[in-house]
Amino acid sequence: MKVSLAIPTGVLLEGSLSLLERAGVSRVTAAQLGRRLFLERDGLRLVLVRPADVAAYVDHGAADLGVVGKDQLWENPGDHYELVDLGFGACRLILAVPETSPIAGPETWPPLLRVATKYPVATAEFFRRSGHAVDIVRLHGAVELAPQVGLADAIADLTATGATLRENHLRVVAEVGSSTARLIANQASLKTRSGEVQALVTKLRSAAR
Amino acid sequence: MRRWGYRFVVTPTLESVDALALGLGPEQQRRLFKFADADGSLIALVGEKTIPVARLAAGQLRSAPLPLRLCYAASVVSNDGGRFANRRETHQVGAELVGAAGPAADAEVIALAVRCLDAAGLKRYQVDVGHSEFFHGLLAGLKLPAEIESGVRAALAARDFVALERLLETTPLRSAERELLLRFPALRGGREILDAAGRLVANRRSERALADLARVEELLREHGLGGQVNLDLGAIRDFDYYTGVIFEGYGADLGRPLAVGGRYDRLLERFGRPAPATGFVVHLDLVAEAIARAGGPPDLPRLDAAVAWSAAGLPVALKLGSSLRLFGMRAVVDTESRSLAAARRWRGQVGAQSLVHCGGAGPVTWAAGSRTRRLPPEQVVAQIVGALR
Repeated sequence: MKVSLAIPTGVLLEGSLSLLERAGVSRVTAAQLGRRLFLERDGLRLVLVRPADVAAYVDHGAADLGVVGKDQLWENPGDHYELVDLGFGACRLILAVPETSPIAGPETWPPLLRVATKYPVATAEFFRRSGHAVDIVRLHGAVELAPQVGLADAIADLTATGATLRENHLRVVAEVGSSTARLIANQASLKTRSGEVQALVTKLRSAAR
Repeated sequence: MRRWGYRFVVTPTLESVDALALGLGPEQQRRLFKFADADGSLIALVGEKTIPVARLAAGQLRSAPLPLRLCYAASVVSNDGGRFANRRETHQVGAELVGAAGPAADAEVIALAVRCLDAAGLKRYQVDVGHSEFFHGLLAGLKLPAEIESGVRAALAARDFVALERLLETTPLRSAERELLLRFPALRGGREILDAAGRLVANRRSERALADLARVEELLREHGLGGQVNLDLGAIRDFDYYTGVIFEGYGADLGRPLAVGGRYDRLLERFGRPAPATGFVVHLDLVAEAIARAGGPPDLPRLDAAVAWSAAGLPVALKLGSSLRLFGMRAVVDTESRSLAAARRWRGQVGAQSLVHCGGAGPVTWAAGSRTRRLPPEQVVAQIVGALR
């Protein structure tokens, strides 16, 4: 059976394909993939899945390896090997407040800070480490709206360039975490098909450097 | 497992949380289904059987001479199926060898686990054997500051090698041991891996672990298991619990281990009877899944004979059923009167090899395969028993 690699649609797709090319594994362009979710070539099976689903495919053994943003792993720790920091797709999970808010450093935070986020696990962990009480509101999108309508004091959201934050008049007060793309592996694939899987890991590892 | 001299034991389903806490880490305790009894003391549904079996060996069986060979089959529950298998209840069989140390005991338990996978009907599988002391030796050899060492343990437990690499970058020392830790997932193979690792380690604990593994590997060959066994120095199991040889059994296409086990020499002392011990558990739900993937659902238990009757045939049918069972056959005797034609359809429904139809005293109709004959009942019994011999 071919080694299968789950790669995420969305922002990490270009980086994943270019990594495969640099590693000399496979030359596929996003255009060639088109709307296909499944592609077999060069002895490799590529499976295209949503970013939040990569870990599920790998953990269940539907893919031997996967490319996934660390931000997704914060929320779903799962049962796989996290092998390589692939270096691309860098972004930060930041805590931000409206520009007009009096909130700045931790000493200015209210006794119970209310934070809206798509990343409740990582956010809760950050506040647990800092020892500050927090009330987390889990949202699924348009998080930047929450402080403007009084739903939350602050938001915890991903940012790569800071453009969305500026557009919405938000100011960063703390960094909750930083993320890059990671190569993960199914725990059984590393054992039952270790030759092929390790060979691909080695190629991708050296291409990521 | 009985053939290997393991006694089947039944242990309580409910245990006091205090007793379970002696053998479980905080994470495992969190997964217990807990509730209070009438006195207000906290009890839980047992999440895995090793602890009740250890308690049995140190309690009720404390005067039984060691080593004790015990086995069990049970359903166990977990409050947190995780995002894997959302099953809260799973089925396990397992065995524990209490009071025996050394490679012969380790090899016995691994061989037994393999034979269990065999007996379950699994065609393709492999067993990876590792040693927790190899890891402990490496870690001790690095002489890390306490907070980094606990970080390294946590990163390895989470199989997060990116975090591990970052933690080890902060240490100035560049040693072979450090490189071994970083290459952990790749440290597997045959005997040659032991020699390769032996050239790199420079601490007694890891060296002793490698010597143990070499011996266990030899013994497993003697058990007739050369082909299915790999050595995996990077096997990651709960390193605070296991104290020696550890192993995992994998099926062909399943993403999780089907059987896991290893040596846990420090559990029994917590129950007041210090003794070395090793054991394993087979996850039956996963084995069933692996078999189903390999080729259709497993066969239901075979029925040897369906015994039907009409008119005054019931006494003959009952006698015939008893005789067949005496010879160890599985026989069902019908509960209502049927004609021969209706009985043929009924046999199809119950899935029996043979149909016997008794119409009264005297010869009966026996149908097996495409042949139908009329014979005296004793001869039918002899034929069915003989055909299956």
